[in-house]
Amino acid sequence: MEHLSTHTIEKGLEILRKFDDGRFLTSINSCVHCGLCADSCMYYVSMKENAFIPAKKVALIESIYKRYYTFTGRTFPKLIHAKELNGETTAELIDLFYGACTLCGRCNIHCAIGVDIAYLVSIGRAMLAEMGLTPPTLQSTVDAALTSGNNMRIATDDFVETLKWLEEELRDEVNDPDASIPLNEKDRNLLYTLNPREPKFFPLSISAMAKIFYAARESWTISTHMYDVTNYAFFTGNLNEARIIAQRMLDEVKKLNCRELILAECGHGERAFRWEAPNYLQTNFDFPVRTSVELLAQYIASGRIKVDKTLMKEKVTLHDPCNLVRSGGIIQEQRYILSKTVTDFVEMNPHGADNLCCGGGGGQLSMSEYNERRMKIGELKAEQIKKTGASVVVSPCHNCVDQLLQLNSYYKLRVKIKTLAELVAEALVLE
Amino acid sequence: MKWYLVITYISLVVCIAGCLYHVIQIIRHRKTRDFSKSADTVGSAITYSFTKAMNPARKESAYLHVPTYIAGMLYHLGTFLSAVLLFVFLFSIDLYRTIELFISVFLMVSILCGTAILVKRIFSKLLREITVIDDYISNILVTAFQVCTLVYIHFSLPVYYIAASALLLYIPFGKLRHAVYFFAARYYLSLFYGHRGTWPPIKH
Repeated sequence: MEHLSTHTIEKGLEILRKFDDGRFLTSINSCVHCGLCADSCMYYVSMKENAFIPAKKVALIESIYKRYYTFTGRTFPKLIHAKELNGETTAELIDLFYGACTLCGRCNIHCAIGVDIAYLVSIGRAMLAEMGLTPPTLQSTVDAALTSGNNMRIATDDFVETLKWLEEELRDEVNDPDASIPLNEKDRNLLYTLNPREPKFFPLSISAMAKIFYAARESWTISTHMYDVTNYAFFTGNLNEARIIAQRMLDEVKKLNCRELILAECGHGERAFRWEAPNYLQTNFDFPVRTSVELLAQYIASGRIKVDKTLMKEKVTLHDPCNLVRSGGIIQEQRYILSKTVTDFVEMNPHGADNLCCGGGGGQLSMSEYNERRMKIGELKAEQIKKTGASVVVSPCHNCVDQLLQLNSYYKLRVKIKTLAELVAEALVLE
Repeated sequence: MKWYLVITYISLVVCIAGCLYHVIQIIRHRKTRDFSKSADTVGSAITYSFTKAMNPARKESAYLHVPTYIAGMLYHLGTFLSAVLLFVFLFSIDLYRTIELFISVFLMVSILCGTAILVKRIFSKLLREITVIDDYISNILVTAFQVCTLVYIHFSLPVYYIAASALLLYIPFGKLRHAVYFFAARYYLSLFYGHRGTWPPIKH
């Protein structure tokens, strides 16, 4: 990497100083370099490169932090291998923190000590973002969201046209001319968000949810101004940009005066808005925020929608999105839904909070320069799927669905990939 | 008072002061407010973090590395035992011969474990990738302290106090400070997973 200016280096170091909170301080001081985390990292397990060990990532940011902010690091840098932030360490940071980590957090729960490794990687990414060193491929996704309102740069006219077409389809399907996909309606119960991949590539998942809302006689709406549930600035680590994107969603909920925000099936979108955005914006949300997974479970449990599990004849397995499950606590709801919508369900091993990442998280799907690695680490997920013998893989995350589709083709899995809403819609019994 | 005892007492004070400094740092930098709506399982997550989450059957770092895990556990127990014995020796508390025998055997096992961990660190390519001088020094100081403890039980040599002093002085500055940060790390991890409802896990 080319020479970094003093100003750039200072910007990066400022982030380390700013994040000097208890969570950071304990994690940066706790790693004992035992290396036992290696087998919990998909990058190490699939490629056996020592540089990919989570402890190596911790050691890298630890060495920079200690060089500048600890007595031992300033006085005896060689003792603890304290490193300066320069072109060399920055190149290493970019490769390991962006290119060899999906922020899945699996190493956290298996760490012998309890070091929050994923948090340290997030802070490393925040440093790089502040220094203007986010991979351009990932940054372009954020830029698209900032400039066009959604990360796929879908023009509003095209978006509305797609939804109108889907509305026509819905009317035909349910045989009701009054069935609708309400746009920009005020004072509804629910404001429903979308992952822009849906209108762009997977419109049937919008149809599925619209059909479910129709069956539940829900009062809902979609905003054409701000519907994008994603926040890729969470992945780049640029907190200012993450804040801008989160603020837009918050403003839209207020503007439309909806009683609840429902986040579409998107792992990081859920995490970024439900758990991170209140802290980005330093405010408590005065409205409930739930995922569509929780909503679907509630619809079924309350009898608001009727489903017939015998309609699904195939063997189904579930991929747990890391951000939704391990970092979002949504673990039982999807299993409850599956227990009511399929007859032959098989878990992957491991699953739940111990699941393996699909390989598409942490912004990996946007960073084409790391495609080879992404497909390689995805082999572990492909093997998991094969072992279940399932012909349908369900995942409540469009990002995961995208990666699973690619794995399906690359590893010739010959399975169908569905979202949870699609599965529920297929099992739906309209009265 | 003998000169080596004076050094040991001074080292003990430095060690306690250094560890207190880290404790104060942890408290001073305590968690900032989380504005997101909590899943309200933080209390039980903290309990879980220090109990079942440490269960070797739940951690790949344990069940995929059984020999290293057992060696590590025994080594730590040997260290705690040696630390307790330091106070026993400093304050001239008598040990029963039978206990001495048991302690000696245990320390021998612990020293073997510590040495094995050091050898693994030296020869494992994976570990060398993440090892810094501090790791070697920490391991050597702790093992040397245990060896000297074992010897001191049977032969009261002043070198024991030198080894103890060196270790005490090093604790706040090297990776051995994890003795303090370990508890904070597990606490913060439980705050994160408890706040979001991931911990404690619900059986299904």
